[in-house]
Amino acid sequence: MSEPSRNVEPSSTPDAELQQFNATWASPRGFPGWLSEVNNRPLGIRFMLTALAFFLIGGILALLMRIQLAVSENTFLGPDLYNQLFTMHGSTMMYLFSVPFLEGLALYILPLLIGSRDVAFPRLTALGYWTYLFGGILFYISFFVGEVPDAGWFAYTPLSSSKYSGLGLDFWALGLSLVEVSGIVAAVEIVVTILKLRAPGMTLARMPIFVWTILAAGLMSLFAFTTLLVATLLLELDRTGGTKFFDADFGGNNLLWQHLFWFFGHPEVYIIFLPATGIISMVVGTFARRLLGYTYITVAILVTAFVSFGLWMHHMYTTGLPELSLGFFAAASLMIALASGVQIFAWIATLWGRRPALRPPLMFVLGFIFIFVLGGMTGVMVAVVPFDWQVHDTYFIVAHFHYVLIGGAVFPIFAGMYYWIPKFTGRMMLPKLGHLNFWLSFVGFNMTFFPMHIMGFFGMPRRVYTYLPILELDGYNLFATIGAFVFAAGTLLFLLDILLSFWWGAPARNDPWGGDTLEWTTSSPPPSYGFLVPPVVRSRHPRWEAETLDCPPSASIEAANQRATQALDGRPTEWRGTLVTHAVNATPQAIHYLPGPSYQPLFVAIGLVVALVSVLLKVHLVILVGVAIMAIALGRWLSPKPDLVKRLRESDMADRAGLPILTTGSRSVAWCGMVTFLSILAMSLVALVYAYFYIRLYSPQWPPAGVSEPSRLMFTLSYGLLVVSAPALMWANRSFNRGYENQIQFSMTCVLLLAAAFLATNVYAVIDYGVSINESAYGSLFGLLSVYPWLLVVVGALLLINAQTRAWSEFRDTQGHMAMQMQVTSLYWYATVAAAVVIFGTLILSP
Amino acid sequence: MRNGFTRSVILVFVGLLLCSVGCQGERVQSSLHPEGPAAESVARLWWVMLTVLGLYTLGVFVLATIAVFRRPTQEPKQPTNDREGRRFILIGGAILPTIILVPTLAYTVHTTSSLRMRDTGLTIRVVGHRWWWEVEYPDHRILTANELVIPMGEPVKLELSSADVIHSFWVPQLHGKMDMIPGTTTKFWLQADREGIYRGQCAEYCGLQHAHMAFVVKSLPPDKFVRWLENSASATTVTEDGRGFQLFKKHGCSVCHAIQGTEAKGWSGPDLTLIATRETLAAGTIENTPQNLLQWLVTPQSIKPGVNMPATEASAEELQMIVDFLLKQNGSSTERGDDDE
Repeated sequence: MSEPSRNVEPSSTPDAELQQFNATWASPRGFPGWLSEVNNRPLGIRFMLTALAFFLIGGILALLMRIQLAVSENTFLGPDLYNQLFTMHGSTMMYLFSVPFLEGLALYILPLLIGSRDVAFPRLTALGYWTYLFGGILFYISFFVGEVPDAGWFAYTPLSSSKYSGLGLDFWALGLSLVEVSGIVAAVEIVVTILKLRAPGMTLARMPIFVWTILAAGLMSLFAFTTLLVATLLLELDRTGGTKFFDADFGGNNLLWQHLFWFFGHPEVYIIFLPATGIISMVVGTFARRLLGYTYITVAILVTAFVSFGLWMHHMYTTGLPELSLGFFAAASLMIALASGVQIFAWIATLWGRRPALRPPLMFVLGFIFIFVLGGMTGVMVAVVPFDWQVHDTYFIVAHFHYVLIGGAVFPIFAGMYYWIPKFTGRMMLPKLGHLNFWLSFVGFNMTFFPMHIMGFFGMPRRVYTYLPILELDGYNLFATIGAFVFAAGTLLFLLDILLSFWWGAPARNDPWGGDTLEWTTSSPPPSYGFLVPPVVRSRHPRWEAETLDCPPSASIEAANQRATQALDGRPTEWRGTLVTHAVNATPQAIHYLPGPSYQPLFVAIGLVVALVSVLLKVHLVILVGVAIMAIALGRWLSPKPDLVKRLRESDMADRAGLPILTTGSRSVAWCGMVTFLSILAMSLVALVYAYFYIRLYSPQWPPAGVSEPSRLMFTLSYGLLVVSAPALMWANRSFNRGYENQIQFSMTCVLLLAAAFLATNVYAVIDYGVSINESAYGSLFGLLSVYPWLLVVVGALLLINAQTRAWSEFRDTQGHMAMQMQVTSLYWYATVAAAVVIFGTLILSP
Repeated sequence: MRNGFTRSVILVFVGLLLCSVGCQGERVQSSLHPEGPAAESVARLWWVMLTVLGLYTLGVFVLATIAVFRRPTQEPKQPTNDREGRRFILIGGAILPTIILVPTLAYTVHTTSSLRMRDTGLTIRVVGHRWWWEVEYPDHRILTANELVIPMGEPVKLELSSADVIHSFWVPQLHGKMDMIPGTTTKFWLQADREGIYRGQCAEYCGLQHAHMAFVVKSLPPDKFVRWLENSASATTVTEDGRGFQLFKKHGCSVCHAIQGTEAKGWSGPDLTLIATRETLAAGTIENTPQNLLQWLVTPQSIKPGVNMPATEASAEELQMIVDFLLKQNGSSTERGDDDE
């Protein structure tokens, strides 16, 4: 297929400027430079390689377990080691492999798919990588300390409490916290990038399916990972702070953990599975040279994402829940089944009669369809309450979720790798090895996991290190173990294939598969900025436009798009810049400044690790050191270099493109980032308030016997002070917009004084109330929910002071960077006040 | 070659599936070999779902295969263009599954409601411990462990709770599972239709020896069951002066274990009043024979590594006397051979 010329336009920028452009975008050199990398492509590769390393480790753990289970009453691993291995296997595959791998893939390929030069917040990419890497290392250091987590990847309380689990669980909880931070950060990144950085003309309805799936997964991660972060925080507080959230003897509730965990855990499966189906749609579309049912697929993705948050009770059918609303669950399960069915049939319809070439990516797609349909069917079955009573926590479930997760995620990942690795490395993989890998993986997988359905029926529970001969399961287990090794051989071939392709692989052309999406217009591998000239998109299939252009773009839109992209042709040269477009219709809105290499993300991550490790080692003073490192690094991160704003203000890019550089409101990527961040805060608050009411619901007396009611008057007064700060800040904003210099200072000072008054009175009121966090779940909840607004207010006060100081000299900048800072700061503060009101309602007002 | 490969794989699966259905061997812990009404209706539910969903799955596989391998035809009868393609997607992926799933789900809801908690009958309290089961008949003042004796043909109410972490009570041949959660009591019921012994096992991961936390349910015909109740309730005929009991005390057994009616009142291990009548030792790990009991006393850590039971350090003769004492006290009157007469 010939390269359509309109997407690879030769640059008209003079050579000298091009050189400067390249230098601006070049990765920093040497090891120190490696540490300060922020570009999405090298970091995406790092994410994927690290995740692959964890995949191999997790796989080795699985093989060891399969050896232990090959025959009954085996003594290859003892019970303690086996329990540690299955805990680490599950944790590794769920937290350290599948999600980070897909994040890495998304970070790498997303800007290429949507025609931007990088993701929206490059330094967040780096922060996400470092927290992920450190979190993974923390998980595995436990092996060297000899205290390995052994309470399962789900860490049910009270088994995971300090009474029944040792230091290993602290490694687990803290390592997991870091990985959660990484997941949330990547989610912010992905959501804002997709909504704001798409190529001109790429309306929502023209986004490639893969972009839809990671948008859905990103939005889901914001809510799911935040809930898990809150849950692990509560667990760790119970373990090291002596709180009683999950201690039934003190009014805590063990099912609370399960609710919070599965509110994360169920969507987690779809966070993994949806991007995987996105890969399938991309490969199927390319191999069939069309994609039928784009709208149906998109709707199916969104329905799945939404409904998956209503299904967490599926994991708790055997906990004796009172009066299950069966109709609701049946309907929700049905919707998920239909959404998956629609996707499957869309792929079948797309492939129908197109005689696709049976090359490795497509082979894995077909393998996926076979395995996933089986896993989906057992999924419908386990959603049925009485059936689940029988198979829950048996090998039937082990079989089911490996069909869903290996079939639904690992096979698509293999498909995606065979599909995109030529783009990453510039080399084609060796087709014979690919086919061999497919057959070994497919046969090995089914040999391993198909018999497990039957083992479950015949009475083999999950998470057992051995089983008795009277169960007569030796044959099935041995068969499964052999299968596991066949599967492992396939994976080894995949790695070998990557290595060998560097020597023997044919050089990859720009578009080896004849794909339709924008990444295939770049060279293989692509330069760090992706596109010298940002592409303009005119249809759903930018590479097949000639075939599929249905409605020609209007002349005025086309002109605006052309002007914006031409202005960015090899420019800006002194800083990294990319186009911002409208979230829905993708018309150019602004030029976005992207920061270059920076060490601050690494320092923030190091500060976080220092703080968490000192929690683990119970040296509480060092926590402050960690927090200090983090605060300094964050401060330097958030305050722009002094001349930067001036340079951006004076840049000629704005005139060339007819677009602003320093923007406010929804045009500003920073503003969008703040909104996303606030949705995370909101979710964490929802999780905490849920915990409060859940425990309250199951308590016979509230507050518990011997604890008095909090003083309504004092708390009303205290929270009232904070509420008053909101109108004061509105006044400050009004003054700012009108340029009233003195009024700004006065009103901002009022806000700060009110904040200080709130802190003082609230701290006093809580101390005066004197409820202990260590004596009842009520006290723990009251304490935590009281501290929550304090932290928000302290951070908010710092932001306000920063804005106020700057307003001293820049109060006239009512359209530019100062205005944006005022907006973002105010947004944060209003959210803080709202959170405090919710907490006041929960703790003090609720009857 | 590729087709041959696929065929052999399919053959293996079909073989396995047939074997799993056909092998009606001794399946002591199988949910597909039900012996009570609850397990029976769930098993029936499974076969119905397998048939319905299996046929649909098969249909999808056939369509996917045709999609990939069929040659493009001149006649556009098949879903080749957009509109037909869309209809194909809607019918195959949404409408057909709805037609299949709605009645299926209705049937499952029906099954669920038929399995509601039964209100009549005997109540048994079971408390999960790491890693054994405390069993109490509150109306008959019977305490035992790792074994439930129930009357056949009638429902038995269970009150489940836990002394430490979460466990799950599961006897696949009689019913599904129900979690045992510290701080709460969950309710469940069981019924066996025939006389027999059914194995159960803890199904919620509870730590080191989760794998060896099993028990048995023994169902007896009503008359035998009444006799069992009477014998067990009248409990102790142990003479505390006997040499056996003295050794039992001397070697510290009574620190953790109780024998009712004696001064042995330990509570952190299973109650041993009825040990002579039980089928298994170490919570379903080994069969209850004098030889095994001796082994268990001497090397519990090699039979169930990590169990709280320490090795009993006594001479061979003393050990034998303890074994004899345990297996011949009271319970010996209701011989274990009861059910295989």
